[in-house]
Amino acid sequence: MAVYKKITKDNLVQFLQELTKDRILIAPVREHELVSFSPVADAGKVDFTFQNSFVPPKSWFFPQTEQIFSFRIEDGKYELSAPSLPGGTVLFGVHPCDLKSILALDPVFDGKFDDNYYCTRRKNTIIIGLGCQSVGRNCFCFKVGGGPLESNGADIFLTPTGGDFLAEGVTNQGTDLINKHSRFFSDSSAEQVDKEKREGTDRLLKQSTGLKGDFNLPKVKAFLDANYEIPYWEDLSYRCLGCGICTYLCPTCHCFDINDYARSGLEGERIRCWDSCQFKDFTLMAGGHNPRPSKKERVRNRFMHKFKYHEDRYNIFGCVGCGRCVQKCPVNIDPRKIILDLQEVAGND
Amino acid sequence: MTDFQNPILPRMAYITNIIDETSDTKTFKVEFEGGGKGDFLHEPGQCAMLSIPGVGEAMISITSSPTFKDFLEFTIKRVGRLTTVIHQLEVGDQIGIRGPYGNNFPYKLLEGKDILFIAGGFALAPLRSLINYVLDDEHRKDYGKVDIIYGARSVDDLCFKRELFENWPKKKDTQIFTTIDRPEEGWDGHVAFVPTYLEELQPSPENKYALTCGPPIMIKFVLQNLQKLGYQDDHVITTLEMRMKCGIGKCGRCNIGSKYVCLDGPVFFLDQLKQLPQEY
Repeated sequence: MAVYKKITKDNLVQFLQELTKDRILIAPVREHELVSFSPVADAGKVDFTFQNSFVPPKSWFFPQTEQIFSFRIEDGKYELSAPSLPGGTVLFGVHPCDLKSILALDPVFDGKFDDNYYCTRRKNTIIIGLGCQSVGRNCFCFKVGGGPLESNGADIFLTPTGGDFLAEGVTNQGTDLINKHSRFFSDSSAEQVDKEKREGTDRLLKQSTGLKGDFNLPKVKAFLDANYEIPYWEDLSYRCLGCGICTYLCPTCHCFDINDYARSGLEGERIRCWDSCQFKDFTLMAGGHNPRPSKKERVRNRFMHKFKYHEDRYNIFGCVGCGRCVQKCPVNIDPRKIILDLQEVAGND
Repeated sequence: MTDFQNPILPRMAYITNIIDETSDTKTFKVEFEGGGKGDFLHEPGQCAMLSIPGVGEAMISITSSPTFKDFLEFTIKRVGRLTTVIHQLEVGDQIGIRGPYGNNFPYKLLEGKDILFIAGGFALAPLRSLINYVLDDEHRKDYGKVDIIYGARSVDDLCFKRELFENWPKKKDTQIFTTIDRPEEGWDGHVAFVPTYLEELQPSPENKYALTCGPPIMIKFVLQNLQKLGYQDDHVITTLEMRMKCGIGKCGRCNIGSKYVCLDGPVFFLDQLKQLPQEY
């Protein structure tokens, strides 16, 4: 049963502080000009006005580097031990694009084989989403089926209203948490929240200064379904440096490498760390064969993954329009432009 | 045997026997502590992740048939960093294992059919799990004639020699056609490349499935020749290999289009293969 409440900024800080008593709080903090999701002890340090974190909050569920197990050899036998994983956590301040990205990652790490590391964190974490207060020039969530005040993926969702916030309990878990701490909240209604979100979305989208042109993702998908070999990918690959920043900052990229380290012959660890399909070694096999030997195949793989493969496999697009790759690509490769180009090639009917 | 609470954490098992197949290929018999294969139950064609903590991990096909009740076998060629270290292991040493992974050869579908196996070099290893399943006394009656065309560069490069020359030819309705690429002193058997031998033998496609594993260039010509002989794409089966890290569809590198070879493969029918991008 959903609840609709109001909360002042001061009360929100106190609410978060209260939550740190029995949970880890992961929230956006600003250091210099960089906003990152980090463990927070003092809720007063939380940044409520950031536009986009540099690294997406997926890093809470799927850290950049993570130990799979450590080992030691005792009496000639291996002893393997998996690390213990964090318990109850609140992940605060996740914007709608990143909320959606977590929904895109869930079916990857869940499924036939549950990824214990991701799934345990996910199960132990309550997500408090935070609506956007501005739309950046690289933002395009609203062109890929999202919106700056979309609550999907959150347990509790906060809509900013000029300093204060409207709060929705989206899931039962979120509602329970609000009810348990009702002293921080005052009453609101579904109608008020709905109205504020509708008007707020209109206001925010009017601010958008990003690339013009509407997307038709099903059409792009249909074109990609039918056209694998097109000269476009090779043209695009000439510009790509293969640096991989797009994949490292993408909130839906989930590729990882697994590596072993042995400090001595007798102990060591196996870790996993983010990896990128843009790297040549990514698919290089022992023996020397490489199915994606040039940048053409690798660039194609990235965009096909976002706009076709992820949808084929999990029924959800692999791009949430956060704009991080647009902002950070050193050679201005822009998925918005690619979508528009592919639409044009597919015919504008 | 994989811990479903944590599928990427390997279990340590023991090497209980090592057979030198060729100068660079060995077959390792693996059992869990106390003997046997525990609840590690696989289907023919499936793979497992083998590892040495501190060195690395790789996906290796399980070459033993599920009908071998007490152990698992892995035939490993020395090609990279990990396999070089594995080759240095001795009987009694530990090895990490997790799995089984991937799909399997459609052994139920093959019931009542003749089966043609075509393999080159070390790639007989994945087919061997199905060959021994089909030729097992308990299952032999469920299948028709079995023909095995197998070739390697030289006599030394032929794997599983005891089964090839002693065990399999004794089985009912089973014929083995062995060939090497170039003439060699002491070899009075056939000399030809595998695809050429296939062309010479002209096995009829009637009521028959063909399964082939081998180096890409061999596969290419074998598939062409099977087509010439009239084999339909949905009656030709092969396996694919890609680099893998997790083996459970998360790490992202073994995709061919929307398919992950670790989950959706390694076994593919030729008609399925033709639907995939040529990126393998």
